[in-house]
Amino acid sequence: MRLIHVGVLALVLSCAPPAFSQTKSALAPAAAEDWKALDHKWLDSERTGDLDYLEKFFADSYVLVLANGQSYTKKEWLGILRGPDRPTLQTLDPENIQVHVFGNVAILTDHTTIKGHDSKGKSLDGVFNVFRVVIKKNGTWLATGVVMNPDLTKK
Amino acid sequence: MKRAYGLGVTILVMIASGAVALGQAPKKPAASGEDVAGTVAILDHVWLDAAHNHDGETAAWLFAENFVEVHPGGFLVTKLQQVDMISNTQLGDLAIQSSDIQVRYASPDVAVLTDTTTIRGKQGETNYDGQYRVMRVFAKLQGRWRAAGAGIARITTAQ
Repeated sequence: MRLIHVGVLALVLSCAPPAFSQTKSALAPAAAEDWKALDHKWLDSERTGDLDYLEKFFADSYVLVLANGQSYTKKEWLGILRGPDRPTLQTLDPENIQVHVFGNVAILTDHTTIKGHDSKGKSLDGVFNVFRVVIKKNGTWLATGVVMNPDLTKK
Repeated sequence: MKRAYGLGVTILVMIASGAVALGQAPKKPAASGEDVAGTVAILDHVWLDAAHNHDGETAAWLFAENFVEVHPGGFLVTKLQQVDMISNTQLGDLAIQSSDIQVRYASPDVAVLTDTTTIRGKQGETNYDGQYRVMRVFAKLQGRWRAAGAGIARITTAQ
């Protein structure tokens, strides 16, 4: 039994590189990628209704999870933004943008302030800590996921 | 027990990912035919089992060094913080179960999935009872699938 464990460990160690090299890779910034600009462009497009940009920027796999757990696919979310029930957003401002790059996927976290209302006039005002996922496809970064949470960290 | 579990998980994932030669060609795409969706679905369960069993070793093995998780309420935690939370047996036990696992995106080195996670129990003063929408991100780094991060939102609306 002990021999089996040693053998498995040897195999694992030979296959998995030291954590140090993995750390370096994960932390290495993607060359010349302006993540803050990407995040701002993303939210500016949602605020102003630049749906042509969002259609291209959202991967087909895009899924949005709102702070209440409701989820939308790309088709569903763009349908809302195109339709009569689209929200009116005066402010959609990401701050404290942090980026974690893992090769062809990056996770952005930010603190987003929203001011606006839905189609019925209900306020959407709030501050959120947001988890965003972008993937690199054919050399281009595309949004594939968002999870929003109300920021309760200061309460 | 945890050690044996960790080894078992290692073997399971290596078999599932067909990754005998992992780490030897980190920049090459995964071998053709690799069942990425199947592998990360297994890792999804490994992740939750580790959390349930206070198995910090397995969590540390699974999480990438730059791992980040956003908890309900918007609390950001690093790998170290998350592993410490999982390892802390002073915190109460949580019953954790995932369902409706959907692999939203899978490539040779990236996978993004969502699931509905049901949690029962308290840790400290925090009552976690409820359902959560979870997005988990996996990346293949130096030939091994690692958890890169997760975003978790409590479901408070009828779906």
